[in-house]
Amino acid sequence: MKAFLIDLARCNGCHNCQIVCKDEHVDNDWAPYAAPQPDTGQFWIKVNERVHGSTPKVRVAYTPVLCNHCAHPACAEVARDGAVYQREDGLVIIDPIKAKGQRALVDACPYGAVYWNDELDLPQKCTGCAHLLDEGWEVPRCVEACATDALQFLEEDDIRERFPDAAPLGDCGSCGPRTYYRRAKKPFVAGTLFDPACQEVIVGARATLLDEEGVFAGEALTDGFGDFWIENVDEETYALRLEAEGYEQREEHVVVTDGVNVGDLPLTRTN
Amino acid sequence: MEEGVKTCFKNTGFCNFTWGSNAAEVDVKDGKILRIRPLRFDKAYERADLNPWRIEARGTVFEPKMCSLLPPYTYAYKKRVYSPNRILYPLKRVDWDPRGDRHPETRGTSKFERISWDEATDLIAAELLRIREEYGPYAVLVQGDGHGETKVVHGPHGCQTKLLELMGGYTLQARNPDSWEGWYWGSKHAWGFEALGQSPQNNLWLDVAEYTDLILFWGSDPETTSWGWSGLMASRTCYWFEELGIKSVYICPDLNYAAAIHADKWIPVLPGTDAALQLALAYVWLDEGLYDQEYVRTHTVGFDEFAAYVRGDEDGEPKSPAWAAPKCGVPEYTIKALAREWAKMPTAIARGNGGGMARSSYSHEPARLEVYLLAMQAVGAPGRCQLKMGEWNGDKFPGPRPAVDPNLSAAGRGWHFSVPPQFVPKTLVPEALTLPEGEQLTWYGTTLFPWPKEDQFVEHHFPITSEEGGGPIHMVWTDSPCWTTCWNNGNALVEALRDPRIETVVAQHIWMENDCLMADIILPINTKFEERDIGNDVFSGQFASVLYEDQCIEPLGESKSDWEAVGEVAKKLGLYDAYVEGKSLDEWMEYAFATSGVQELVSYDELREKGYYPVPTREGWWADTPRGMRAFYEDPENNPLDTPSGKIEFVSENLKTVFPDDEERPPLPHWIPFGKTQQESLLHERARAYPFLLVSNHPRWRLHAELDDVTWFREIDTCKVVGPDGYRYEPVWINPVDAERLGIAHGDVVALSNERGVVLGGAYVTPRIMPGALYQDHGARLDPIELGVVDRGGANNLICPSSVISEHCAGEVTSSFLVTIGKADLETLRSEHPEAFERPYDKDAGLLIDAWMTEGEM
Repeated sequence: MKAFLIDLARCNGCHNCQIVCKDEHVDNDWAPYAAPQPDTGQFWIKVNERVHGSTPKVRVAYTPVLCNHCAHPACAEVARDGAVYQREDGLVIIDPIKAKGQRALVDACPYGAVYWNDELDLPQKCTGCAHLLDEGWEVPRCVEACATDALQFLEEDDIRERFPDAAPLGDCGSCGPRTYYRRAKKPFVAGTLFDPACQEVIVGARATLLDEEGVFAGEALTDGFGDFWIENVDEETYALRLEAEGYEQREEHVVVTDGVNVGDLPLTRTN
Repeated sequence: MEEGVKTCFKNTGFCNFTWGSNAAEVDVKDGKILRIRPLRFDKAYERADLNPWRIEARGTVFEPKMCSLLPPYTYAYKKRVYSPNRILYPLKRVDWDPRGDRHPETRGTSKFERISWDEATDLIAAELLRIREEYGPYAVLVQGDGHGETKVVHGPHGCQTKLLELMGGYTLQARNPDSWEGWYWGSKHAWGFEALGQSPQNNLWLDVAEYTDLILFWGSDPETTSWGWSGLMASRTCYWFEELGIKSVYICPDLNYAAAIHADKWIPVLPGTDAALQLALAYVWLDEGLYDQEYVRTHTVGFDEFAAYVRGDEDGEPKSPAWAAPKCGVPEYTIKALAREWAKMPTAIARGNGGGMARSSYSHEPARLEVYLLAMQAVGAPGRCQLKMGEWNGDKFPGPRPAVDPNLSAAGRGWHFSVPPQFVPKTLVPEALTLPEGEQLTWYGTTLFPWPKEDQFVEHHFPITSEEGGGPIHMVWTDSPCWTTCWNNGNALVEALRDPRIETVVAQHIWMENDCLMADIILPINTKFEERDIGNDVFSGQFASVLYEDQCIEPLGESKSDWEAVGEVAKKLGLYDAYVEGKSLDEWMEYAFATSGVQELVSYDELREKGYYPVPTREGWWADTPRGMRAFYEDPENNPLDTPSGKIEFVSENLKTVFPDDEERPPLPHWIPFGKTQQESLLHERARAYPFLLVSNHPRWRLHAELDDVTWFREIDTCKVVGPDGYRYEPVWINPVDAERLGIAHGDVVALSNERGVVLGGAYVTPRIMPGALYQDHGARLDPIELGVVDRGGANNLICPSSVISEHCAGEVTSSFLVTIGKADLETLRSEHPEAFERPYDKDAGLLIDAWMTEGEM
């Protein structure tokens, strides 16, 4: 069984995957694999963007999303006449003839990966470029076009063995999603510490995150710019303790729903 | 192989001067382009044939992939070929009657009608003869120097020049160094490097990989600017730097697309104030002794004068971090920290062309200061260099180079310029067209942008004397036109083209857009997919290649290539054989190959059969030239620079000799926020009315003005903002702090304005732009609400400063200029200009060519 593996730490947001999918499927009829994709509005693979933080501690996280080619597809559960089937290589295909009129497929997909084509009266989604694989192509268009190797198309067993950290983005519980992601960028808590008296950054200060029970939840030391970045923080409420030798300790209340920049914070010298 | 599919090979770069990149395979079926995909180097050759390079350093391995690394521009190009905006037939402006009233005043507002090729070429030939007879040959201005597809035999740019040479000459619009202004006008005088003013790059990837610990990306965006020239190799390079453990610091007002994913630190600096920050860094180094005093003594001249200026001896103002912080918007403590981090470890500055610093007023000052800061940290020493992140070939390429750089310019019409006696710098064209009778324009330099630095010391005039055949312009012939959307103060060009002395304007272009709207006759040009040609890929950074670029599809409508279109005019003048120099297309292609440098490595028959030839990597590439500036570093006496002293000149001897009293580019660089030429600074009183500095980089989802109608890009959130009226506006980034203060919400239609006009945009509230600055990509398609006054498309070059960089530097200022922002009053605009709001518009593709045609013409 084949599956997609997406390394989010190597996604540069170029949208090549989203664009080549359109190059392949818009205006091209790949029956019996797929009917043409409309020019706009459908994204069989879509690059989502999320901006974390505030100026100047800002990061952008891109996430390409596509069909999970589930082991037990929810769309197949509601499909009539065998309109959805899974190939031996694992790709889940919506039959463009049999699926006509079956809008239920769109609503059934918990991941929003199935689109409705009004003009053709047809649910549509990623085919994994099965029409090309059957012609001898080694990988789908999106994978071929990914210059940074963020997208790969591999044996699912290999993914599990070689990348134990890889997992689907979400799981509806019963469908067994099979598009794997690794190295997702999680929220951070960051800031800059400086001494206002001498207008110098404070290097080597300790920033510690404590959860509401006072339990340690992460830490970082300030670098040469006086910056600390506490990485991979869960979305919760914290106390941020800031300590540096020769300075009074300072504590901030931080609510993490996203990347958080607490700003440039002055510390006061102890006497 | 899929049944019935033919594969052609095309380079899809945008350099357009016969130097290609982004080599692609184009699958064609049933006369239509099926798909565009990467060129697979190992499809027709063995991997070993390529002699693939490999760099091993600090536990990492960097090597090429076996396919080209194309940008999204290439993958979306099918939309451009089949765009609803294609010009398919020759067109004539209905108001323009060469036998009666020419109505110059309605250029840009009156519509077009279809005419035949026969009529169009008759008209152009007759006008050329008449103009030459009445005013002499130099009365025709050729605008043909940049932005377009990269073709070889088929042009663009070098076709009308060839024909006009045969007719006795023309006036040249001489292209300024538009993406390298600061380095060209400044750095050249500091360290002498030609042609762009940037450091040689030989094997710097190797050097950086082994030694560099910190890279400063100073206004460069290797995840965007490199795309059109070098594809996505720069992106792979940035990820490799991460693997090497090199820290990346981005210094720019905007968190550009590379900073957004690669920055370890973003230091926002107010647009156009880099010089203040740089001087303060020098101050810290001087104050704390954090620079290489021995290097400065042995490799540079004039340092004492520089140090005195930094300490404040000249003006009583020490250029300290406290002095710089309020000017550049970087906190005092961050300036000190940056100075110390830089001094602590081998540091490189990465450049990708463009970027606000190189395209602002007085950009030669920060560009020179960059050289001096590098010099204070021993530039040329291991890991200390200026690194280019794109536009890679020859000694401008930091990676392992090919055995031969394939050169097709013998047949290339992308760069067929001899410099005629009469010419005008591109930045001064509006002034030249509207020059009062009897007056003369005077400037220095920019005969053409790669000309050597000595050209900057030559005083030029327009027009030249009548004895020399000089005189005013009466006809304009432009190709791939985008002056209004890419140069300085497009509104001034609009106005100039409506001058009654301009009797005829001819454009040749593929799409109906931008300057085409002001033409009288338009020749329909086809895309390179519709012609057979030869091509190369020299910029992409993995392997160079030569391509037999077979015809993919039949030309759409009645379109022809630039070469063929001008050839049709030549036929009417009886000059066709001379124009094509007696050679057919195939003969030209073979001639280009035979003189390319690769003819010793592969036969033309093999190239034609396989469609492409990837040039193997040079044997022993890692040791065949000294790295970057290493030879100068090791032995400056025997490896002098191309400056009068042979050293890095803190005080330029040339500038001191030629322009000793220039206050805007003094021999020693200064902090010049504003002056008599430019007043684009928050410290100038103009900032009271226009309190924001607008940054305008090379765009993300366009290549300059090209690709703005691609539906697949326009539905991306960062490409266009859908206004409440359904129109897709060009995004204007505004910081949440400024947006809240001004009551502007994400998605609001906003107006950017200054004395030069108004452009609209869609508010894009984001922390990716610092407070006090705004960001809008340049190059959006012109959609005038009131031509020359208000533009709906968001073409902000319309309101760039009209004057040049500084008194003696005829370059452009197209970033970091003052504007104000407010919610647009669409209701009033609509009621005053209803026709502008009723133009045929497709929500996905934008404006349609029908908007400019008389009823039922297309």
